[in-house]
Amino acid sequence: MDPVIAEGLRVSGLSYVLIFVVLGIFYGLVKLLLRILPRRDDLA
Amino acid sequence: MTELLRGIVGMSDWRVWAMFGVGLALIWLAVKKEYEPNLLLPMGFGCLLANIPFSSAVGGGFLDVLFKGGITNELFPILIFIGVGAMIDFGPLLQDPEMLFFGAAAQFGIFFTMMLALLVGRIPGVMGIPGLREAAAIGIIGAADGPTSIYVATRFAPGLLAPITVAAYSYMSLVPIIQPPVIRALTTREERMIHMENPEREVSKNVKVIFPIAVTLIAGIIAPMSVALIGSLMFGNLLRESGVTERLSKTAQNELSSLVTILLGIAIGSSMGGKQFLNPTTLLIIAMGLVAFVFDTAGGVLFAKLINLFRKRKINPMIGACGISAFPMSARVIQKMAQQEDGGNFIIMHAVGANVAGQIASIIAGGLILALVR
Repeated sequence: MDPVIAEGLRVSGLSYVLIFVVLGIFYGLVKLLLRILPRRDDLA
Repeated sequence: MTELLRGIVGMSDWRVWAMFGVGLALIWLAVKKEYEPNLLLPMGFGCLLANIPFSSAVGGGFLDVLFKGGITNELFPILIFIGVGAMIDFGPLLQDPEMLFFGAAAQFGIFFTMMLALLVGRIPGVMGIPGLREAAAIGIIGAADGPTSIYVATRFAPGLLAPITVAAYSYMSLVPIIQPPVIRALTTREERMIHMENPEREVSKNVKVIFPIAVTLIAGIIAPMSVALIGSLMFGNLLRESGVTERLSKTAQNELSSLVTILLGIAIGSSMGGKQFLNPTTLLIIAMGLVAFVFDTAGGVLFAKLINLFRKRKINPMIGACGISAFPMSARVIQKMAQQEDGGNFIIMHAVGANVAGQIASIIAGGLILALVR
């Protein structure tokens, strides 16, 4: 396989997976924040 | 006398006339069709200014100064992001954080198009063969996010900046035309009629303040190349959500955004010189931009269908299409489609949540591409 195509496939696949990983971390973060800082704890 | 005549003589070049046509077409799209007028109108006029033979606006003129001072050094897209961040309410996303995954799924078009550009570039005689960096810059049109497209293209393929920007903003304005047929092709009427309960959860101000700070730190640590993009977006959002910088937040939303949009648009228009713009590569980039938006939509919808296989309470798969960054256009389109199928179906809150997630995901995608592509 053309090395540039192979590198493109590697970068594309890895990037797409990593987007899910990063947003998955954000998902966990939001769930955690909602649990430890519910509406009634609002200082505002 | 010679000085006066050389402009007229310069008009003998067909490319000047062609680029006048392109500039006027952009202005027409902005004025008559109202397609992204805030950007396409300055771009169209910048294109006219740059293509007048021997124009004093380019070749060391004020448009060159703007280009070097705001595009080449990536300042304008970053400033735009501060304004965008100040405009975004992450509330619907925080109420329903599962929507984050639709933002991720709908970035599929970026990578599909990136591979397509690499493959097309290898067909002899079709296109100036792009390397991985050029292909990534073309693929990022699928981020459906103008500033991210400009940011990545400036780094990876400055020579392709003008067509990439034109494609990105044009297709963002064409979302109401592009997305519905793709969604209809991939979903049944029953799926489009699925109702979703609105999230009842209230989100505290503390969460809204911590979210932009935490996202910046996490994204920055994982992908330092994304700090400028995600940091400016989240800084703008913090100005909004802190509640103590209302004047700054409003300035970012209005004056800053408007001023930078004017300068960004006219500076990009100035890069649309006939010699650089009028070639088959431009047409291919514009065609591939459409492919990127189609596959973004398909990626989001198919992901929603996939997770529905494992869920008791089904998700309306049209929500997946909102994972693109074109905000709030995509959410509005999906709500309209839902009501066309069933007048009592309100999925707007989920749609907005997924759409906002798309804004974050597109920036993460840009940052990862900048980090991984050599």
